[in-house]
Amino acid sequence: MSTFSKPIIALVVIALLAAACATPTPAPTTAATTEAPTAISSTIDCMGAKSGDTLTLMYQWTGSEEVSANKIFQPLVDACGIKISAESTRDAAVLDTRVKSTPPDILFWPSSSPVSLYQDKMVNMTTDGADTANYASYWIDLGTFSNTLYAIPVKADIKSIIWYSPARFQALGYTVPTTFADLQTLVDKMATDGNVPWSMGFENGAATGWTGSDFIQDLLLTLQGPQYVLNIINGTTPYNDPGVVAAYQIYQKWASDPKYTVGGANGTLNTSFLNAIYLVFQPNPEAMMVKQSGFAGGEIATQFPTLVYGTDYDFFAFPGIKGMQGGADWMMAFSSSNAAKAMVAYLTSAYGGKVWAQTGFDESPNKGANGNYTDPQLIKKAAALASAQGFTPDLGDTLGEPFTSAEWTAIIQVVQGTDIATALAPAAAAQKQITGK
Amino acid sequence: MNPLRTLNRIFHALPINLALIIMCVLWIVPTLGLFVTSFRDREAVRTTGWWTIFTPQPVVGETEYTTYCASCHGAKGNALPQANLSDPAIVNKYQRDYQLLAYLKQPINGQPHVQNPALPGNPNQSLPILGKILVYMQKLSSGGAKGPSLTLSNYVDALVGYKGTNSYLQDCASGNTAALLGLNCTASDLTSPAGMGIAMLNSIIVTVPVTLLVITLAAFAAYAFAWLDFKGRQWLFAILVGLQIVPLQMALVPISRLYSAVGMQSTFLGIWLFHVGFGLPYAIYLMRNFIGSLPKEIFESAYLDGANHWKSFTTLALPLSVPAVASLGIYQFLWVWNDFLVAKIFLTSHPVLTVQITNLIDPRGSNWNILTGAAFLSFIIPMVVFFAFQRFFVRGMLAGSVKG
Repeated sequence: MSTFSKPIIALVVIALLAAACATPTPAPTTAATTEAPTAISSTIDCMGAKSGDTLTLMYQWTGSEEVSANKIFQPLVDACGIKISAESTRDAAVLDTRVKSTPPDILFWPSSSPVSLYQDKMVNMTTDGADTANYASYWIDLGTFSNTLYAIPVKADIKSIIWYSPARFQALGYTVPTTFADLQTLVDKMATDGNVPWSMGFENGAATGWTGSDFIQDLLLTLQGPQYVLNIINGTTPYNDPGVVAAYQIYQKWASDPKYTVGGANGTLNTSFLNAIYLVFQPNPEAMMVKQSGFAGGEIATQFPTLVYGTDYDFFAFPGIKGMQGGADWMMAFSSSNAAKAMVAYLTSAYGGKVWAQTGFDESPNKGANGNYTDPQLIKKAAALASAQGFTPDLGDTLGEPFTSAEWTAIIQVVQGTDIATALAPAAAAQKQITGK
Repeated sequence: MNPLRTLNRIFHALPINLALIIMCVLWIVPTLGLFVTSFRDREAVRTTGWWTIFTPQPVVGETEYTTYCASCHGAKGNALPQANLSDPAIVNKYQRDYQLLAYLKQPINGQPHVQNPALPGNPNQSLPILGKILVYMQKLSSGGAKGPSLTLSNYVDALVGYKGTNSYLQDCASGNTAALLGLNCTASDLTSPAGMGIAMLNSIIVTVPVTLLVITLAAFAAYAFAWLDFKGRQWLFAILVGLQIVPLQMALVPISRLYSAVGMQSTFLGIWLFHVGFGLPYAIYLMRNFIGSLPKEIFESAYLDGANHWKSFTTLALPLSVPAVASLGIYQFLWVWNDFLVAKIFLTSHPVLTVQITNLIDPRGSNWNILTGAAFLSFIIPMVVFFAFQRFFVRGMLAGSVKG
């Protein structure tokens, strides 16, 4: 018995020793940047953070996005000498494990939904030094839960825009519509001319339907306005209200008739949302317009590098829309350490907004960003965002499951020709289940 | 009589044979599709299905080109030396139909450019025609209409973790450093942090020690449970077997907390211990049943001859249980190799293959073609392991199932 227990004991001892060796020695790294930058330190408040303080971050950004984010953090790192240790993940399971074991000081997430899950571990943004004066009131409202500001938007991308080719519009004698009636007239004119107006393809694996959900939300914002959408989110307006049905009727016509969209209902269901963008801008285009978020500009530029923004491709705001729809990345804090406060104070300051705009990492909801963009697409998008009467987050993302899937299923069924009232009933039931109204 | 019997036999076997054939086809076709796709380039994957490589596809714009252009420019586009349409420098001046239309409106020698037949005057009709002609001219100028061509670019791109829109080799050849994102076109790219090369190395570093540790520890424990007589042996074994029902997910948060307290977060040691801990109960159970079913008499005669436990373990139990060890090894190897969740949470700084595959694809999935190559790369090593040990595997699957 003792003969073979020896190796096991030895292994355990080795493991314990190795574990002990792996424990980091908490030696302060004073060698970090201690020089005092003159122009910057006057605009960055370190909130008492000392050189060598570490700040742990979690976000979903990868690749070039992560590079941009680090560029934005760099002035803070230079000014206060804090060390940033970041983890990038898109996985909610990883986030959950981290939050329950060792939460990051600051979390950046593409929705404010972590607040509802981890509110008790989170820190009030105002006590962490957030400058709310730099944000439009509708942003603050969206980040406030149980009368406490838990989330601040740092990055926004607008969805309520339509991409088109100005040169092709000109060659065919079309003009950019300014009202929703204009848009309907234009769409019908294109259809009579034999040009397919829309590229509606929305295939995206298990997430098929989200592009349609964006389109319908834009129709709701145009026909009914932002408060109506917020009422759907809080449950006072059911998802099978006549206003919603009206939006679905327009969508059904445009997304399932081959005269209005590439390939008719089958084309909409089976064309991937990325191909739907390419179909409008490829050498032999199959449609005139595609409604897609700001990211489409980047996709066009990488797929067709010779096309010129402004003449070969451009976008206009959804005609007659009464409030912008968009996605935002939110900042939430799990810590009140000085380094965490420094980050919150920096990103919410006017100077932080300016750096964000100059880096060109989508738009920043921070007012300090206004007038500081250099990329022409961002300037135009930021102007659309700044002049918006309101901002509504994505209905489906905000309500969450089971509504999201029910909504997508409804959209797919409507495109396939199901009666709208029948298709909307399960989605409305899911909405009721979530909001309790 | 005889032909009738044969017929009868065929009809008897028909349902089973049909069912088998259908099952095989159901399993094989998607894998075959993925395999074929993995050799097609990004544009081909994006625009057409894998089955199209078996049939000739109509060439876009060929009829339009023949109608409007071929009479002067020739079928290959090079009939007019001053306007050679097989020259990319000329064709690339016109990226889109409206640019070509504006150009064609200029008369040549006082005559309309396109006259036999003339282009429709209405741009609603002429632009679609020109769009198709453009596509055809681009094909002519890039070396003629290409047939279905197969490429290894998906494999190469996955291996180095290339994220651009062309392919790694193309961008290296043309020196397009912007799209290469830190890759420098030397052999060192094989271990670039975003690629499958380094991930394969990480996977091996994780999997091999875990497999060896589990086999060794399980063999020791199994011998002890089978042939050592100590108090509470059955209870201990029952508890151990019962531990298998603890779901791994339950331990994620506590162990993550423990690891960050002792500084083992994201270390190889941490993930080794986790996998060994969760692999052992089943491994001990399987090995005990096998070693326990060996004939009692051989151990008794060994003890009579003066062999101690260590001796009879190394010279009797271990050599006799090679099939069980091999099958356990395959099980454990594949289990750890294919693990995603544990590696994702406990080894963030050294992505293993399963985690790296999810890192390869960009957030909107525009480069999903790379996943086809990555998938086949990721199962090369498990295939090698499986075929190397598969003769033990069939024997080992029955290990412990019949008590001797």
